[in-house]
Amino acid sequence: MKKKITAYLLLTAIALVMIYPLLWLIGASFKSNDEIFSSVWFMPKHFDFSVYRSAWETVTPYSMGHYFLNTFCIIIPKTVFAVLSSVLVAYGFARFDFPMKRMWFSLLMGSMFMPAIVTVMPLYLLWSRLGVLDTYIPLTLPSLFAAEGMFVFMLIQFMKGVPKEFDEAARLDGCGALKTLFYVLVPCIRPVIVSISVFTFLWTMNDFLTPLINISSVEKYPLSLALRLSSDSTGNGYEQCKIIAMSVIGLIPSAAVFAAAQKKFISGITAGGLTG
Amino acid sequence: MKDKLLKLAAFCCAVTLSACGGRTNKTVTAPDGKLDPCTIRFSWWGGDDRHEATLEAIKLWNSRHPEIVITPEYGGWDGWTEKTAAQIGGGTAPDIMQINYDWLVTLSPDGKGFYDLDRLADQLDLSGFDEDVLSFGRVDGLLNAVTVSVCGRGPFYNSQTYESLGASFPETWDDLLALGETMRGSDKYPIDLDIQSGFTAWYLSVVYIQQKTGRNLITMDGELGFTVEDIEAALDFYKSLEDSHAVRTVKEHTDQDGNSALYQSSEFISGRVAGVLEWGSSVGKYEMVLPEGALKAGPLLADENGNNSGWMIKPSLLYAISANTEHPDEAAAFMDFMLNDSECAEILGTTRGIPSSEYAEKSLENSEKLAGLVLENHEMLEAADTVTISPYMELDRMKEFYNTAIEKVSYGTEDTHTAAQEMYDAMSSYLEKIRK
Amino acid sequence: MKKRTYNNPVGVGKYTGLLLITPFIAGFLLFTLYPFAASFLLGLTDYDGVHPPQFIGFENYRELLADSELHDAALVTIKYTLILVPLKLIISLFAAMLLNLEVKGIGIYRTAFYVPSILGANLAVVIMWQFLFTSGGLVNQLIGLTGADAVSWYGDSRYALVTIILLRLWEFGSAMVLFLNALRDVPKEYYDAAKVDGCGGVRSFFAITLPMLKNVIFLNLVLQTIAAMQEFNAPYMLTGGGPMRSTYTIGMMIYNEMFRYHDAGTANAVSWLLFLCITAAVLILFRLTGRNREDSI
Repeated sequence: MKKKITAYLLLTAIALVMIYPLLWLIGASFKSNDEIFSSVWFMPKHFDFSVYRSAWETVTPYSMGHYFLNTFCIIIPKTVFAVLSSVLVAYGFARFDFPMKRMWFSLLMGSMFMPAIVTVMPLYLLWSRLGVLDTYIPLTLPSLFAAEGMFVFMLIQFMKGVPKEFDEAARLDGCGALKTLFYVLVPCIRPVIVSISVFTFLWTMNDFLTPLINISSVEKYPLSLALRLSSDSTGNGYEQCKIIAMSVIGLIPSAAVFAAAQKKFISGITAGGLTG
Repeated sequence: MKDKLLKLAAFCCAVTLSACGGRTNKTVTAPDGKLDPCTIRFSWWGGDDRHEATLEAIKLWNSRHPEIVITPEYGGWDGWTEKTAAQIGGGTAPDIMQINYDWLVTLSPDGKGFYDLDRLADQLDLSGFDEDVLSFGRVDGLLNAVTVSVCGRGPFYNSQTYESLGASFPETWDDLLALGETMRGSDKYPIDLDIQSGFTAWYLSVVYIQQKTGRNLITMDGELGFTVEDIEAALDFYKSLEDSHAVRTVKEHTDQDGNSALYQSSEFISGRVAGVLEWGSSVGKYEMVLPEGALKAGPLLADENGNNSGWMIKPSLLYAISANTEHPDEAAAFMDFMLNDSECAEILGTTRGIPSSEYAEKSLENSEKLAGLVLENHEMLEAADTVTISPYMELDRMKEFYNTAIEKVSYGTEDTHTAAQEMYDAMSSYLEKIRK
Repeated sequence: MKKRTYNNPVGVGKYTGLLLITPFIAGFLLFTLYPFAASFLLGLTDYDGVHPPQFIGFENYRELLADSELHDAALVTIKYTLILVPLKLIISLFAAMLLNLEVKGIGIYRTAFYVPSILGANLAVVIMWQFLFTSGGLVNQLIGLTGADAVSWYGDSRYALVTIILLRLWEFGSAMVLFLNALRDVPKEYYDAAKVDGCGGVRSFFAITLPMLKNVIFLNLVLQTIAAMQEFNAPYMLTGGGPMRSTYTIGMMIYNEMFRYHDAGTANAVSWLLFLCITAAVLILFRLTGRNREDSI
């Protein structure tokens, strides 16, 4: 019993440290500018929910709902593409041997080492030549080609943890290469696949520079750009609480997605392995 | 296989390099004197107030000229420079752009980066502008952009703190230094200077030396106007401000405020740091965090003889037309509307500062939108013998030189003589390099 | 040329694997090789983003290698990486183990622990950090309680890096998730058996948990090292690279050269130097952990 209490105490203490800034952010959406910058305590002096209404409506002809939709139009294809292609490619590396394998693996690793900033301009020129600027193609197409070396690398490591005996058992049952993948490996590494989806979701939500450079019409702005519409450090001042309210609204889907997904981290390799 | 990869790489590079130089290959569309139906893109940055006002102005235009449709593109300042540079480099720039002053140097160093507006005199009425105001937008004699409004930094003080100490706003430099000593006892500061992207520490020191010597830090053509001795004197002046408690040392400043701006600092909000050197057009954010009416404009600091020259102004923003636009007349007509039309001016108000166009300013006077600290600061600067900030002065690389020198002097890792020599050498070689 | 044997399961041809990785190959050529090649070429030019690039050969590299700014940034980056990565691994592993407990409501705690990674570089975080580390902030107040002198976190070049390290440590969510995934695969029976044998908690950690997590530890080690060496956002938001360049990383230098000083040639050259360093670092990690390339492919 004592162990449980210590566990709970420790968990709660750490959790509070982790989420305090979020509490503060929510509280700040109700505070005036001077209150925001001088008080570390998160509770505001008054609660004025109208800030959320004006934050939702924005000064543009579109509401936050519209920008949310835009973001989902980017995130969902991107996640699906990323998972499909990364799993396929990782499978090829993890379970098969083929000519020039070492070269391609090194290139895969190498693609992770370059800071992403450097690729922004060349890619922009490429998209410009292809005439797909101001669409979502620059934001989603690379994922179809397993462009995130990190995900492939992750999947390879986890796939290597699945015993080869499972594969052989499936082969004895008459499964070809792809069937083995879908019926044996994927169930075993499902938690990692969920993780990859969650990471893609979160990183796309926060991605700011790529959409800024590639998209020009306000109508197509994803959430990350819409959030910055109102903040202008060169201007005459504005109610910070409105920007903060927009931030809070923008955080909700990320938190919800993570909360829903973290249950899926439960099943492990042992579930349905040899017997499945 | 390897050959194929190499060939592909070579091809891709060829694509990139040809695209990089693509801007200069396109032909410039000549104005045809007619207004044809078309769609043109207009981009700007700003906050909510500016977005709202501009969208309304566009609506007004669309009601008058339904055949010329304006597509707005806008966002916050963060990242906007990168975005515009990418658009211009990639040949996809909007027809009309709101541009920042130093973009004239970085994006159009030869004057051909933007459309030559003198050719569009049919549609663009510039009679409401003083020639020296227009000259801000000239590069190599070509009119690249039109100044929308002019702004400059001025001192603003927290009158509550000053009153509680029985002090009055400083009028001369000696006043300021003396005030620092007076406030030392109560641990308050008369004003604040920093080494962030606004480089106010160096700014004020430059004003002091410009006033004293009559030389400008940098000429409009990018030549260094100050001598090494001038720079050393400026750094010495800054050091004296710190030593007499007129401003916090850089270490104290960073220690107490972190990396954020003064209006986000609890030291300023509580009134302990009782002044700021800010642009008239954006002083609103400082006003907002203090009690109503507490922030007041102080006089431009002068020497013992009352000479207050040396204070600086620059165009706060300008409008330019893309060099590759296919609709120069229509774009010019819209620009004329945004700059001169009285109804439009009333809608826009002071969201882009106090307009430089006589016509626009007049309609604002009539509608009584001209008021407050923005106006006070504007009038003070108009009355003084001001220096125009050279577009080379605000280049990011130059700011690094200023801020590094001030930091070293403040932390004491170098004396002013060495720091001045370093800054002088760095600035001269950099200016030489980019002065193409 | 020796004929290579391909170690494949029965019935699988030697090109099946290649077929599977075709999406990667295609994507690599377009979205990786092309920008990398473009970047390398631009690193050999003098390019300001507006005028056509002027070819200047290795002049950029020569200037950089003699430049103290690069050396200082490199030192800061190395120092930062060496301190952050081990600490982060330890903390995220500890957190993952804590979150692996079967207590009620553990889901809420897991989400709570991940919130910092969701927040990212938000205004709230920057302001929170100020409330913590400025001269009158919480940390100094706590230090005052112990009677020691207050520390100038933001203002002193010896301590500013600590604020950045602490920020990234606080965002241990992603590494923690990977550990959590792997921990779930360690069968409980092992721990039970160990208990029967008289092993305490600490002993079973070293004897069971660590070996079973070998792959994931390596994974996190590599990923975190790469991320730390490329670090840009945290110093940009918190300290702007100061004071006295004590938090000025190579990532910041690349950003400044590219977007603020309009010197794309130098920016790309620095990126390639960074690329080489990261490659070297990862190779070292592969060697140190006793893996040669065959093992991990």
